Amino acid sequence: MPEGRMSEAALELRGLEKRFGAQTAVAAIDLQVQQGEFVTLLGPSGCGKTTTLNMIAGFITPDAGSIRLGGRAVENLPPHRRDLGIVFQDYALFPHRNAAENVAFGLRMRKLAKTEIAARVADALRMVRLDGLDKRRPLQLSGGQRQRVALARALVIRPALLLLDEPLSNLDLKLREEMRSEISTLQRRLGIATVFVTHDQDEALTMSDRIAVMRQGRIEQIGTARDIYERPASVFVATFIGSTNLVRAKPAGPPSEGLVPLATAAGPAILRLDRPLAAGADLLLAIRPERLQLTPTGTAPDGSTAWPVRIEGVTYLGGRLEIALRLADGSPATAHAMNLGAMAWQPGHVADAWFRPDDAWPILDGGASDGAAP
Amino acid sequence: MRRPVSYLALLAAVALIYLFMLGPILITAVVSFNRSDRSYFPPRGLSLHWWGAAFTPQWTGAFVFSLELAALSAIATTIAGLPLALAFRSYEFPGKAAIQAMTLGPLVLPSLVTGIALLQFLTLAGLGSWIGLPALLIGHVVICLPFSVRTIAISLASIPVSAELAAASLGASPGAVLREITLPLARSGVGAGMIFAFISSFDDVNLALFVSSPRQTPITVQIMQFLEFGFSPTLAALSILSMLVPLALVALCGRVVGIGGYLQQEQGHA
Repeated sequence: MPEGRMSEAALELRGLEKRFGAQTAVAAIDLQVQQGEFVTLLGPSGCGKTTTLNMIAGFITPDAGSIRLGGRAVENLPPHRRDLGIVFQDYALFPHRNAAENVAFGLRMRKLAKTEIAARVADALRMVRLDGLDKRRPLQLSGGQRQRVALARALVIRPALLLLDEPLSNLDLKLREEMRSEISTLQRRLGIATVFVTHDQDEALTMSDRIAVMRQGRIEQIGTARDIYERPASVFVATFIGSTNLVRAKPAGPPSEGLVPLATAAGPAILRLDRPLAAGADLLLAIRPERLQLTPTGTAPDGSTAWPVRIEGVTYLGGRLEIALRLADGSPATAHAMNLGAMAWQPGHVADAWFRPDDAWPILDGGASDGAAP
Repeated sequence: MRRPVSYLALLAAVALIYLFMLGPILITAVVSFNRSDRSYFPPRGLSLHWWGAAFTPQWTGAFVFSLELAALSAIATTIAGLPLALAFRSYEFPGKAAIQAMTLGPLVLPSLVTGIALLQFLTLAGLGSWIGLPALLIGHVVICLPFSVRTIAISLASIPVSAELAAASLGASPGAVLREITLPLARSGVGAGMIFAFISSFDDVNLALFVSSPRQTPITVQIMQFLEFGFSPTLAALSILSMLVPLALVALCGRVVGIGGYLQQEQGHA
């Protein structure tokens, strides 16, 4: 591998840009994927994640920016010289070739010796638990088996980077969860740097080392699943992943011992923050429904934020209950409670909804930062 | 009791269609075994005399020439049609719409007109010596090209784009993608286009009337010219031959090239 060194990032995108006519599909994306890292591009359709993948693969030429694979610039190389393994949404198996021939294709193109090809194909098929099905053609395989052939075909060439383009979206739910953990296990075992494109937040949260949430051609936030879920950088991220309560708020005084007082539409609140908030900043306080707990009025623990609420409705979800609330200012909110047997809350009840200082996160209203002062 | 009535009506319609399609062919076949030199039906006495007459150089020469011409046309049409279909599918280039229109144009033009135009063009261009095989070949490629390009285009359209991208990502150069993925998957369309071209060329009389030369005349034109002076049961024998030989060839090609066989193979051996 020319220039390539193991210390280099497996993939580095700098200022990557693509326009289609007047439409900007990808706007100046920067991204680094380390060796062995699993990074997910997550976003709704049209957010630019697939265009980004296609530029990495070489199927689309970027208008600006650079793409480096293991330190070597590839933005001017055609796809067949980039050394990538790609699993496509529709698997893209070659219908006129059997499973073994599909897997062997990349090795044949690399002009390896017949005996080595046979050995590596057998290994790869065993790795994805398809040994014995090597003579089947794609149409004679089930969806999950096709998926495995596609995976084996992409991995057998020992690529510098694995690209997964919504590979699970054509599978039914049970199979999808099975393949999800299988891909994760395989990826960790092989230690191969992977870029995974999906619009499915569950896949992103469970499989990724880091998630890049994309919107309108930009990366809105990049971080671990926990960062993205618990410290969303924008309203978009907060609402795209899971559901969340958003309450208008403003700083209500100087921080003391890491605790920041806020004035919100639902009542005063206290947050734990490691950075001060700009005075007078317009904030949206994001509280996940499972962090908002209900208790009889006046019984919230000391040091927590407690807001008076009215219970509007209770939806039975099996393992948990979804409780619709109305806050002091009349705006709706949702709390999730474990279903512990007793149906304590009924519509019409008045209670306190409380959360700890670590359970809410401030988002600058209309902005893409966490609302902390620079 | 509506179903039996409609069923009988359908049966009758199908029977009539077959009667009109196959009846004349059967009668022609029977007439060719006449003993008389008139085409009586039912035949008055049986004889292989007219079949013998069909196998004289006057006819066999034209017959073999027709087969050669059809084979050359099929090959030449495919050689021209395949790159055109590939280019139309994959690339945007200046004049694409015009070239597409020119390629498919002969489809709506009577081949008689194409024949007259070709004859006039060759004469005016001082290429009168091309009349005969070269002119026939050019004319037939022009006539057959729309069929070839269309059938190849249809089979190309059925190839998933991602299969070709996948091949490229696995290290296949554009040439290797074409060789390994595109062409094998377009095989049935290429084969069908070739057979269409063969049949169109072999069947053609309209264009060939104008650009045949006395020494290079296809069987269709030869039959037309003979008909001007009268009818002989030999013509019936020749008609049957002209029907059977291409039919056999098509069946053979279908087997070798695998029109439709491709799909059966997909579902076949488990």
